[in-house]
Order: sequence, then structure tokens, then C-alpha cells
Amino acid sequence: MREKTITITIDEQGRSTLDLEGFAGKGCEQVFDDFRGGDPLKVERKKLDFYSRPQAEREKSQR
Amino acid sequence: MSKYGETQTVLREEKYLLDALKEMGYQAEVHPEGAPLNSYYSEQEAKQANIIIRRAQLPGAFGDVGFVRQPDGRFTLIEDELDDHSGYGKKWLGRVQQIYKENQTLAVAQAKGYRLKCRQVIETSEGKQVRLQFAVRR
Repeated sequence: MREKTITITIDEQGRSTLDLEGFAGKGCEQVFDDFRGGDPLKVERKKLDFYSRPQAEREKSQR
Repeated sequence: MSKYGETQTVLREEKYLLDALKEMGYQAEVHPEGAPLNSYYSEQEAKQANIIIRRAQLPGAFGDVGFVRQPDGRFTLIEDELDDHSGYGKKWLGRVQQIYKENQTLAVAQAKGYRLKCRQVIETSEGKQVRLQFAVRR
């Protein structure tokens, strides 16, 4: 099973980036909100994550 | 889906703000009802703040530096106008925010059960960046 990781980078201008890997669905949003801590978002995007798709779907796309 | 985001740190929690100031070597005063800041010119209008660092602790400063609790809960920086150019302006505030955010992030991670995998300090052309990586046990 792929490990879920959260990487936060904080600079000296008070800006942060938040990068979640290996998450899927609502769990991803919950973790994102935990670490955002109520700070306003300047940029937000979801990333396509092959391993978040169901096994059957992955096998189909590999054929 | 995984997710990426960029945020601007807002100082809301007094505890982490005081911790950040302490980490920077300041002994800040806390005034829940507000207290006056001393300015360089005595005829300047007295400003009030809820968290105050006195000038004696601020090398090169013209007046005290403080943080005011706004009605929406945020703390904003308040200082002598002369100090915006004496090292206690935007750049100084950014350093406060950086330490605040790191402390807040570590506390949230511990409370929620995320495991800290590594902490790195990276030198960039815009200053130091702190990178924290966590893993999820569940």
C-alpha cells in the first residue's frame, strides 16, 4: 500500500505550500483542512493520483 | 485525488504567537484589554496593542512593537511608522509568521496523530524555508 505523505513548506514571507500525496476522497480534504489551520488559500488544485483509483480500474487501464 | 495548496499565514492563536516571539528572543507583554505603545515622538497619537514587545528588547527600533487583536480574531502588527524601515516591518513579520506556522503545524500533527518524518531547512534566494514532512499511520 502506498504511503500517504503531507509536505509543508513555510517561507520567511509567511507563505506556505501544502502538498498531499497518496490520499483519496474526503480523507484528503480533512487532512488538508487540518494542516491549513484556517489560513486563506491563494492557490488550490487537486492532483490526479493513479493509485487512488480502484484496483479494477487500474488493471483495465494497464491492458 | 491528492491535493496541493498555497496559503498565507494568519496569526490567530495567541499561544503560538507568544511562542514564536519567545523563540526569537523576546519577552512579550500580554494585555487582554490593550495597553499603549511608546512611540519615538511623544506627540504621536498613542496606539494600543494586546501583545507588546518593548523598545528596550528591539535593537535599533524607534518605538515599541505590538500586535492588536482584530474583531475577526486575527492579530495584526502595529508599530511606530519609523520602524517599518528599521527591521521590524514586513520582513520581520514574515519571520514571526514562519515560526508561528511551524509551531502550529507541529502541534496539529501531534494532536491528530501524524508522524513527523523529517524537517529540513532549505536556503533559497528569498531566505530560509522550513520543510516538514509527515506520514499518516492510518
